Amino acid sequence: MTLVSQTTEAGGQKTPLKFLKTYPMEIILAALMIFLILVAPGFASTSNVLNVLRTVSMLGIIAFGMTAVIISGEIDLSVGAGAALAGCIVAWFADRFTDALGDWGAVTVGFAVALLLGFMLGYLTGRFRQWFNVPTFITTLALFAALRGVANLITGGFPMSSFPLGFDFLGGGYLFGIPFPVYIFALTFAGMHFLMKYTSFGREVYAVGGNMEAARLSGIDIWKVKALTLGLTGALTAVSGTLIASQIGAGTGTTATGMELDVIAAVIIGGTSLFGGKGRIWGTLIGVLFLGCISNGMTLMNVSEYWQYVVRGGIILGAVLLNQVLERVR
Amino acid sequence: MSYPQPRSAALQGVQGRLDFRAVTKRYGPTVALCEFTHSFAPGKVHALMGKNGSGKSTLVKLLAGVTEPTSGTISVNGEDRHFTSPHDAFAAGIVTVHQELSLVPELSVGENIFLGRLPHRRRAGFSVVDWTGLHRRAGELLADMGLALDSRQPVSALSVGQQQVVEIVKAMSFNPSILLLDEPTSALATREVKQLFALIERLRARRVTMIYITHRMSELFEIADTCTVIRDGHYIGSVAMKETTPSAIVGMMFGDAARATRPPRRELDRTKPVLEVRELSRSGHFHDVSFDLYPGEILGIAGLLGAGRTELMRAIFGADRIDGGSVRLDGRIMTGASPRDMRKAGLGYTPENRKEVGLVQSRSTADNLCMASLGPISNRGFISRRREQPHVRRQIADLHIKCGDPELPVSSLSGGNQQKVVIGKWLNRQPSVMFFDEPSRGVDVQAKRQIFDIIWQKAADGLSSIFVSTELEEVLEVADRILVMHHGAVVAEVDPTRTDLTELYGLCMEGAKR
Repeated sequence: MTLVSQTTEAGGQKTPLKFLKTYPMEIILAALMIFLILVAPGFASTSNVLNVLRTVSMLGIIAFGMTAVIISGEIDLSVGAGAALAGCIVAWFADRFTDALGDWGAVTVGFAVALLLGFMLGYLTGRFRQWFNVPTFITTLALFAALRGVANLITGGFPMSSFPLGFDFLGGGYLFGIPFPVYIFALTFAGMHFLMKYTSFGREVYAVGGNMEAARLSGIDIWKVKALTLGLTGALTAVSGTLIASQIGAGTGTTATGMELDVIAAVIIGGTSLFGGKGRIWGTLIGVLFLGCISNGMTLMNVSEYWQYVVRGGIILGAVLLNQVLERVR
Repeated sequence: MSYPQPRSAALQGVQGRLDFRAVTKRYGPTVALCEFTHSFAPGKVHALMGKNGSGKSTLVKLLAGVTEPTSGTISVNGEDRHFTSPHDAFAAGIVTVHQELSLVPELSVGENIFLGRLPHRRRAGFSVVDWTGLHRRAGELLADMGLALDSRQPVSALSVGQQQVVEIVKAMSFNPSILLLDEPTSALATREVKQLFALIERLRARRVTMIYITHRMSELFEIADTCTVIRDGHYIGSVAMKETTPSAIVGMMFGDAARATRPPRRELDRTKPVLEVRELSRSGHFHDVSFDLYPGEILGIAGLLGAGRTELMRAIFGADRIDGGSVRLDGRIMTGASPRDMRKAGLGYTPENRKEVGLVQSRSTADNLCMASLGPISNRGFISRRREQPHVRRQIADLHIKCGDPELPVSSLSGGNQQKVVIGKWLNRQPSVMFFDEPSRGVDVQAKRQIFDIIWQKAADGLSSIFVSTELEEVLEVADRILVMHHGAVVAEVDPTRTDLTELYGLCMEGAKR
């Protein structure tokens, strides 16, 4: 991205064009928002904006972790199933251990278990790659199927909803007029942005994804870096899963279906390269906002659900093409 | 894909005359081949000699139709030819056997020979592969070359030597009048070389003109009729093997290599080594290597490509597994350590292929310079451009790295500057031992001087280093002491002040003093 500011050819000196090349997704997002404000009824209303932000938060919390995973040159397909499982674990603890631990005690322990499990599954996925040379694509594809199965086994196939009173605040409540998940979302953004930009770990993630062998020969523990980014994403998935369970008031094996695709789409729309080594947390923020706006806008405009899928597919492809073209122009 | 069938030279009798007239090839400002004029007489085995980067491979590429000359003409059998693609070279009766084998291991010998032009026949209205005919013809070809190979067995079942022979049979199935052999023996054991030479003799008897590229001096006198030497893209001369000696050829290859000024060699304290390597082995790469490295010493390692130099460096650094032996750094046993452990113990390594494994091309110069020392630069894991800046600035100034903005991707730098970034990355850690693997490869003359100056200067400050280069003049100039590797073993230790290029070259080739 930094390349652009250095462009010296004729086009580069014209400020508007340079601006266009530097911030393509930002401009497109702004244009989309203006379009929706003008065309989609009720898009700009406070309640709708807060609604969009809430939905975007659940997606974004995971997407920031996924950005690091993809920059490190790996992928995680299991986040949708992982989120469902985390919600079910919390619900299951609330159902079984309220007598022993108290209602909030049971939920807290359940969340801690989900968090730890999420981290461990991600971490081990990374180590699997190291020990048995199994691509993370395969391991997480297996988890994608298995975790949803486990979620349904825990709940017996029915929603479990014996949460304590006030638990719905986490996913559905407001703090100072803003949905509570938005705070977690903002915190995750800030934390991940800082991690990727201002820590040696973040630098190592970029190095590993950019050139694994060069990173190894520089003395970087490449497998630890990969395992930790995957573990981090697993933990963030558990956070998001718990918020979703709170919002819908139940832990169920059928939530967050297809979420992994939206998460990966957001990361890619944000300009992160699937080949690894390139990408920004900021870009992913734009990506999730873009996806949130477009699906909300289409719903408001009564576009059929089927068309929404088609449009989303087109957007993913279009975003990648745009990035490739820009890369060439630069 | 089908190939044009060349006119069958072998059957038509004497053909295969090859003339170069003032052939020049430029790549941008670099002149790879300059006004090359020479006639290769038909029906002979012509060796082509020259050190790395002399223009040999350019010549091969021109003849194989891979690239076109910038100016000048190539004529075959007295007819001017202009090759714009490998197809054209084929049509002119020139077939090349490249250094890397191009066989498909899963397919049979016969299928490999006729790959892309399998014979067909009609069966129930369909055109199907005629397997019987294919193996019959392949069998005939193999028998014709005096080889007892079953054309139905898969190539993967053959030894490397047999595969090389199949490669030549495949080339000969095109009936060429001129055959180019690019280092055909580089991967072969002695016994397999004999088999290959028998095949070459047979082809010579059929008056096929062969251009034979090799680094092995002994082979020249065994198989070649003449030897043509090029140096820095220029034709130096051509001699009949009967009338020359190895040292005369080495002299032609290197010319009067002017010894550039280097700082005077200092007396070294050889009481306590920094690095002790004992009987280190990695099967298939090197075996029983032992040596010591002393404080402030520059130890050169000479040897041909494939002698095991790089593999040895990588194994000591912990990048590759070892099968036996031990490594001590500053007295501590480091056998089986990872690159991370070795880095911590004070060893740095600049790999031979900086583009592929030395740098992260997509990251900035600054990022790459800090990559090996994120720990020391950061404050408990926290890092910022401000913290990195002194380290980045110091290396850029000390190593004279020309990079404009250090925030730009390192891929925008020239080869020499990229190499300096790789070196700077390690100097940022202030290592006690450095391995420089081919630091001058693909680097212009001025940057090369600067890199050598850095190595000498750091050595004067007490850094011990190992310097590996394919360019023997460089090893002679840079090192305080030289180890010669041959086929994975250290075969000699020489004092650069008491030897010369001819002797060193001989050692690298033959592996022993004669």
